[in-house]
Amino acid sequence: MLDKPASALRIRERLLESERLMDETGCYDGITELKLRNQDPLKFETLHTKLRAYCVSAREMARRISASPGVREVGEMVVAIYTPEGDAIALSNGIMVHVHTMSRFIKWMIRNGYEENPQIRDGDIFANNDAFIGTVQVPDVMDVVPIFHSGKLVGWAGAVCHELEAGGITPGGDVALAQERFTEGLFVCAEKVGENDELRRDYVIRCERNLRMPIYWVLDEKAKVASCIDMRESVKALIDEIGLDYWMQVSKEFIEEGRRAQLARTRQLTVPGIYRGHTFYGHVTAGKPGYQPLGDPDWLYNMPIEMEITTDGKIIMDFEGTQPWGYHSMNCTPAGMDGGMFVTLTQHMNFEGLVNDGAWMATELKLPKGTWTNPDNEMVATATSWALLLPAYGVFQRLLSRSFIARGFVEEAFVGQVNSPMIEMGGTSQYGTPFGMAHFECAAAGSGALAIKDGLDTAYVGWNPESDMGNIEIWEQNMPMLYIGRSIVPNSGGAGKYRGGCSFLSTWLVSKTDHLRLVTSEHSSRVFDNGGLCGGYPAPTCQKHRAVRESNIFELAENGAPLAHHTGTNPYRSELEVRLEGEHVTLEGPYITAPHKTGDVFTHSYNGGGGYGDVLERDPVKTAWDVENGFLTKEAAQGIFGIVLDEDAEGFPVANLEATKRHRAEMRAKRLARAKPVSEWIARERERVKTADFAPEVKKMYASAIRLSPRFTKDFSAFWDVDAKSTFGVE
Amino acid sequence: MTSYSKEVIADLIAGTLPWPQTRRIMSAYKDDDRFFKYVSVLQDRVGWSDPILLPVGDHLFICQSGDERVTKCECGHSFGDYRKNWKLKAAIIVRDSEETLREIYPNSDLPDPDWMEIREFICPQCGTLHEVEAAAPGYPIVHDFEPDLEGFYRDWLGKPLEPSNKGG
Repeated sequence: MLDKPASALRIRERLLESERLMDETGCYDGITELKLRNQDPLKFETLHTKLRAYCVSAREMARRISASPGVREVGEMVVAIYTPEGDAIALSNGIMVHVHTMSRFIKWMIRNGYEENPQIRDGDIFANNDAFIGTVQVPDVMDVVPIFHSGKLVGWAGAVCHELEAGGITPGGDVALAQERFTEGLFVCAEKVGENDELRRDYVIRCERNLRMPIYWVLDEKAKVASCIDMRESVKALIDEIGLDYWMQVSKEFIEEGRRAQLARTRQLTVPGIYRGHTFYGHVTAGKPGYQPLGDPDWLYNMPIEMEITTDGKIIMDFEGTQPWGYHSMNCTPAGMDGGMFVTLTQHMNFEGLVNDGAWMATELKLPKGTWTNPDNEMVATATSWALLLPAYGVFQRLLSRSFIARGFVEEAFVGQVNSPMIEMGGTSQYGTPFGMAHFECAAAGSGALAIKDGLDTAYVGWNPESDMGNIEIWEQNMPMLYIGRSIVPNSGGAGKYRGGCSFLSTWLVSKTDHLRLVTSEHSSRVFDNGGLCGGYPAPTCQKHRAVRESNIFELAENGAPLAHHTGTNPYRSELEVRLEGEHVTLEGPYITAPHKTGDVFTHSYNGGGGYGDVLERDPVKTAWDVENGFLTKEAAQGIFGIVLDEDAEGFPVANLEATKRHRAEMRAKRLARAKPVSEWIARERERVKTADFAPEVKKMYASAIRLSPRFTKDFSAFWDVDAKSTFGVE
Repeated sequence: MTSYSKEVIADLIAGTLPWPQTRRIMSAYKDDDRFFKYVSVLQDRVGWSDPILLPVGDHLFICQSGDERVTKCECGHSFGDYRKNWKLKAAIIVRDSEETLREIYPNSDLPDPDWMEIREFICPQCGTLHEVEAAAPGYPIVHDFEPDLEGFYRDWLGKPLEPSNKGG
């Protein structure tokens, strides 16, 4: 089987056979021995390096074709090469979450009889953005082309771009108001959108008539097709060089080696056992315009995760106990959950050797049916699935980090960064034309701390390791707003021996429009979602949105008076309130409100990362530098970290080591005096649990978890010594 | 095989290794002898002689204490059998009000204390803050890590642990 070329007429049978072989042997496609690698390891490695080079080169070319600042500036794109059965062999850098979601797309077409109708032919182009087929959310549009050689299907080339506008109920792509599938925008459900290497005109017309800003989508389609054709031709030339039989064998050995490498990597870097963690996500939309009351407007989700690392090196992530899917845009599909696993593995473990679908095959996800991770209803919305997906994988990052610490690889322990509130907008542009777009500067938020150093300031986000926020001028060209400030938010990283990276805040002046709708998604301001590790605190919650309608900013500018460039550090009176007159608005949760117009001012900030270690161990000298540069305030240095700072002759902060030592000793003593035995706290808290004396959203959270999960019910009951079902009124 | 001196590992753990050298370690192949050097560095750091079997936090270790295997703070305080959740034997500070949360988040927006609280788990002897949980009120305290200690030493390190009468 393995040394014969696949036949285009029986790819479905080939896929099933491959899966059967995997089940029987435990090895990808039944490859129990890496024959070609053993014969000539240098040739083997060189070939994979070539494939990776094809991918990187194709992606870079596509970025230069694209018109979208999301793809060109921020790099929201990835490309990959697949086997005929749809398993990733090699991939580029970029948004690697989609490497495996494209695999699901290809397999879905094969399983659904696409060989017969609409047929898979040389020169065909297939597109998809349906998360139940294989992507994460509607704006993640993927294109794949088959690779034929000598008349036989020998692989696929695929590309994904994150589109800035998807034609949903709100402008942008992460459609915060979507409560069902039918409001998410333009769906392309595994469709043949091109033939003979050309996009069909009727498909392009459909895009042009259903998107607010089709130039992004359509030109990205051309960029993706170009990259796929480029990879296809490179692979065909490679096959001419090495022979078809060799290609069919080596491409599969690459994947099996990737699987073995991941298992070996886990055995090398971690410690077997059970790891547990959780995070939360809160959503607040009550009273906001446009909200359809299908589900509760305000809700709270818990996300408990149990990770098992077996002595074989397999990583199993179990989401039992998490919440049901809901009438909101934050549900995720198994494809998206797979993608989260893939992007985390590629960043945190598998950063050497062969990275491909083999790594994913060395893991297992347990996604309980009916939960937001695996909805048992394909009509649910997934437009902002990152809102839940990212916090969940932030927990995974922290669990992995604990295993690295146990094993001694402290330099790999990384608290991660899990969520970035996307800001999207639409209406009438500064050029007087309809527009809609997602602003992707959130691709460079503050990362969590490491176990040996502070996190990265405004330089990281989980879903794209390149993490480029883009230039201000590029964004200003694409939206009717001007930056009047982009600044670090002091104290925005979680506190700890090593602090989380700081986030940033942008302040915009709405300009040359009388209709600008601003919408944010993935925004949780009522709970922490960037946790800390080993005594480090979580990063602050997302900041609330602050705006000034009909401000006097033009008048102030004309008079040369000071303007507000940020919100400042006073939580009770922002710089906007100090400097500007107008209608001041503060909004928590997603920003969904009436359109803005010229003269309004709007601020938006992003998450920092969690901290690592006990705050009282932070380096005072480094902290003085942090204060000097605006990452921490002097008050925080003393009040949280116990570091006393003096000023030098020029007024710069200098650590007073002796005073710090004394102050910290006092803080430690106060901490001990304030702390109570956990047993006392449990006994007191149990009385509250018994009466379910919680906010309605908290009560509902427990009731839904108990309804879905026997394990959560058992654990909750055992911990508090109560009957969880009767406590929360669950039948 | 890549290998580093114990001194280099000690500086790496302490966060004092110069960044260019740290970066080279991060980018290079991993050193297969890391674990025992790591444990050796940590053993030098603690003021007690029970052998460390596995670090589980920045200042928390599973160690062999006579016939028992216990979770122990760097100061020497024992949290008991390593298979049980050490947090249940810790001291705790809960921040469940705007006032107490504001102490840690002086200029930021805060969570809604009705939706979320912070739980600080502290060594009752030395006051080290070992772990912070952010959880909804009423959420059970999580048992972070149950290592397969025997499997790790036997299958991955190739040095099976001596059978223990108590504690695993």
